[in-house]
Amino acid sequence: MKKITDERLVLQNLKNIRIAFIIQTIGILGILGYDLVTSGLDEMRKNPLWTVFIITAVVSAYLSMSISADHEDNKMNPLKNLIISLIILILITTIVGFFVSLTQGFSLINGVIVGVILFICGLIPIIYIYYLRKKRQDKDSE
Amino acid sequence: MDNKVKISRIQVNLTQQQLAEKIGVTRQTISLIEKGKYNPSLKLCLDICNAVNKTLDEVFWIEKGG
Repeated sequence: MKKITDERLVLQNLKNIRIAFIIQTIGILGILGYDLVTSGLDEMRKNPLWTVFIITAVVSAYLSMSISADHEDNKMNPLKNLIISLIILILITTIVGFFVSLTQGFSLINGVIVGVILFICGLIPIIYIYYLRKKRQDKDSE
Repeated sequence: MDNKVKISRIQVNLTQQQLAEKIGVTRQTISLIEKGKYNPSLKLCLDICNAVNKTLDEVFWIEKGG
């Protein structure tokens, strides 16, 4: 097969892929929705399509971070943003961990573990967006 | 978008197909550019200008409000 070099066709191809992706997502949501209604939340999450859907959502969220980093106006210092995000994250994880340890049937250790897991999960995107903002700032100042 | 691709192309005796082959796109793309229905990238504009031996402003410049 010959490689397409025509920029108009390349663009059209991307648009077509987008339409196919939308249809695919609607299909996946339909199947998951059917599972949810007929057999409940736990059964739905056993479906491998659920994993596919979540992974796609996470990948798309990470990819769109680079777009929003370019889109937002960059008056704020990235480091300041990082510190604010970290403070909020620590607050949220502490509160959640605290309430988990208070819940009946859960010990203090459980609370700490939940808090730490939440903290790590929140830390990764925060560091990633800090890296993106920092990179963009370096480019701006060139 | 209005442009003078068609006039420039005829001046150097090229058909749409020949021009398309010269710059590595399809004939349909040339046709759409001539009709003003496709907005080519700057790179493609430059390729077209090179193929018809004209400068960018001779082929693509339009007066504002004109």
